[in-house]
Amino acid sequence: MSFAPTFPFAGRLIRTLAICLTVLTACSNAWSLEASTVRIGVLAYLGDEAAEMEWGPMAAHLRATLPDHTIEILTLDHAGMRELARRGEIDFLITNPGHYVELEAELGASRILTLESGIGPSPAASVGSAVVVRAGRDELRTLADLRGLRVAVVSPEAFGGFQLIWRELHALGLDPRRDFRELRSVGFPMDRVLEAVANGSVDAGFVRACLLESRPEYADRLQVLAPRPDPDLGCAVSSRLYPDWPIATLRHTPPALARAVAVALLSTPETSAAPHWAVPADYQSVHEMFRELQIGPYAYLRAPTLMSLAERYWPALAVLVTMLIAWVLYTVRVEHLVHVRTSELREALAARDAIETRMRANQEQAEHMGRLSVLGELSGTLAHELNQPLAAIGNYAQSLVRRADADRLTEAATREAATEIVQQAERAAGILAGIRTFARKRVGERTPRRPGEVVAETVALFRGMLAQAPEVEVHDRLPPSLAIELDALQIQQVILNLLKNGYDASQDLPPERRRLDVTLHTDDDGVGISVRDHGPGLDPAVGARLFEPFLTTKPDGLGLGLSICKRIAEAHGGRLRATPAADGPGMIFTLILPHHE
Amino acid sequence: MNDAAENLIHVIDDDTAFRRSLVFLLESVGWQVVPHASAEDFLAACPAEPEAIGCLVLDIRMPTMSGLELQQQLHVRGWNVPIVFVTGHGDVELAVQAMKRGASDFLEKPFKDQLLIDAVANAVRRRSAEREAESRREDARALLERLSPREREVARLVALGLPNKLVARQLDISEKTVHVHRQHVMEKTELGSAAELARLMLKADPNALD
Repeated sequence: MSFAPTFPFAGRLIRTLAICLTVLTACSNAWSLEASTVRIGVLAYLGDEAAEMEWGPMAAHLRATLPDHTIEILTLDHAGMRELARRGEIDFLITNPGHYVELEAELGASRILTLESGIGPSPAASVGSAVVVRAGRDELRTLADLRGLRVAVVSPEAFGGFQLIWRELHALGLDPRRDFRELRSVGFPMDRVLEAVANGSVDAGFVRACLLESRPEYADRLQVLAPRPDPDLGCAVSSRLYPDWPIATLRHTPPALARAVAVALLSTPETSAAPHWAVPADYQSVHEMFRELQIGPYAYLRAPTLMSLAERYWPALAVLVTMLIAWVLYTVRVEHLVHVRTSELREALAARDAIETRMRANQEQAEHMGRLSVLGELSGTLAHELNQPLAAIGNYAQSLVRRADADRLTEAATREAATEIVQQAERAAGILAGIRTFARKRVGERTPRRPGEVVAETVALFRGMLAQAPEVEVHDRLPPSLAIELDALQIQQVILNLLKNGYDASQDLPPERRRLDVTLHTDDDGVGISVRDHGPGLDPAVGARLFEPFLTTKPDGLGLGLSICKRIAEAHGGRLRATPAADGPGMIFTLILPHHE
Repeated sequence: MNDAAENLIHVIDDDTAFRRSLVFLLESVGWQVVPHASAEDFLAACPAEPEAIGCLVLDIRMPTMSGLELQQQLHVRGWNVPIVFVTGHGDVELAVQAMKRGASDFLEKPFKDQLLIDAVANAVRRRSAEREAESRREDARALLERLSPREREVARLVALGLPNKLVARQLDISEKTVHVHRQHVMEKTELGSAAELARLMLKADPNALD
């Protein structure tokens, strides 16, 4: 820091303290104040010990003058003083002008006296800073010559050790943080700055005025740069001069106490070792410095500096802003597109759902019709098939009546007829049950089934429907454990259709060639269920349109069978294939179902 | 019926249950029934027309040889056995075809028992009548067999009602010779008039006098 008013004279002050006590005690009796503890915080910029030595005589003088009060001196750093002042734990504070101005703005500190060190021409102009360089650096003539050099300071926050010179540089258009090659903080004591300059590790150093003059060992090695013509100070100084340290009250300090302390301090005898005080100086110059540097209470003024930075870096800023705007526009556009596409998608999904629902209904309807159509095509034989048991039952029943009428009814005959009647009734019921299951309207459901099982059931149904069902030979080449997720009834419908087609194709053949072969095998694409007939095969023109609806080669056919079969196959993720048999005449219809492990 | 043994009913149907029910029914009214599971079985059992056959009860649709095919076969073989067809289908075309080929009856399943019984009775009756007519024809033929070729020529012309004089002229023989032949014919056939002779000849051969 810039100022240690009585440091060299501390020893003498202590020695003379005792002499003053009696006189001052008498004076203090004039104020009748409540006995209390008076806490005075002092900034210990040179450490606690130095501060106690410096301010000890003053404390002694106050105790003597104000015997009713307990005087406490608290040596504090900047932050500690601010904290205690805010909490109201100190009544007075003594600090450097810069710190005082900050606390004035922040906590309402109010100076009551200014130290009168006797160094400068007046207490209002006794603090200054000096820039020291090595002796003989004649090329350095003004502060502006510091541009691009290495500079040592105690700390960038120091008042007398940095900020005062900063203001002068600022006036010249120099920014220490920008325009120096290096701004090195060396810390206390301030002699380190002198040492750094002297040994050449930096080009210049900022120190408080009069420090160099008090250090004779550096006198011939260092010199002050651009000393101001201010003979009254008695030291070379590179900055303007500022008021000395103040003692200030805080908001809670009782005015009577403030007055008592002020009077006590002002009455410090000339001979006392304690520092002398004068009426409060004008600290406007400190305010001006802060305002110019936009620090302390005027830090808020730095906002325009940001603007100036922005001006300096406007191309980059412009790019940034352009990118930002582009990003915003892009985001808005994307949001808009997302919104539009989302609603489009939602509509499309809704439409698809509706179509799917309708299709499912139609498909179920079509499948149902297909099954009915197969039944219709089979109805002739079906009637015959039902007729057999019905006619047999009728015959037995009528025979029983007839025999009873003729009195020739034996128990054996009754038993035989009744047994036959029961069996034939069961046979008829079985046929009807198969048809009902097959013709029933239903919603499809898939379960894992062994294909061989489904084929066996279908062949049984086929045999049940036809009076003269041809021989159907089943070759199951699938592993026994293999099961497929399928709608058994739908697959039955497909196989039944294929069997029926094979049967129709074999109608004009001699009996030994009417045999149908059903083969279950694994195909490249999954599981194949093939139905092979030995008929004349298909006209290629018909073959190409085989799976189209309403194509039929039968006089009584609806032509729905294979087109529905194809759709069932596709609904299972499979397909339907028709190929001429490789060995001899006949067609092979294959239902291929995908098999996922 | 006392003549059941002479009029065995052959039932041919591939449906075992129905076949058995037919047997049961026909036996209820006293017929003796022989069941066959197919047309082939029937032909194997009866290589020639049996004497004691009453009629056939025949299913039209059968897996290998159908009822109509068997009817055709029997016709080719010259059998005269009456056939009662039964079918599960109201197939008019088949019925017409069967009746044209001389079927005795055509029943649609399921039928009232009386219909079948009547149909079988009719068929058997027809069979008996035919059998009688046949035996009369055989008798007539046997009588005519006794005549020499020349006597048969004379007998045909006499049966046509020609006087001896015209017969002689047509055969280019004397009237006296015609007279002798005529006497022999009447003696051998044990007949008294030309009209009786004409009836006998027609009985033996309906086309004899064309």
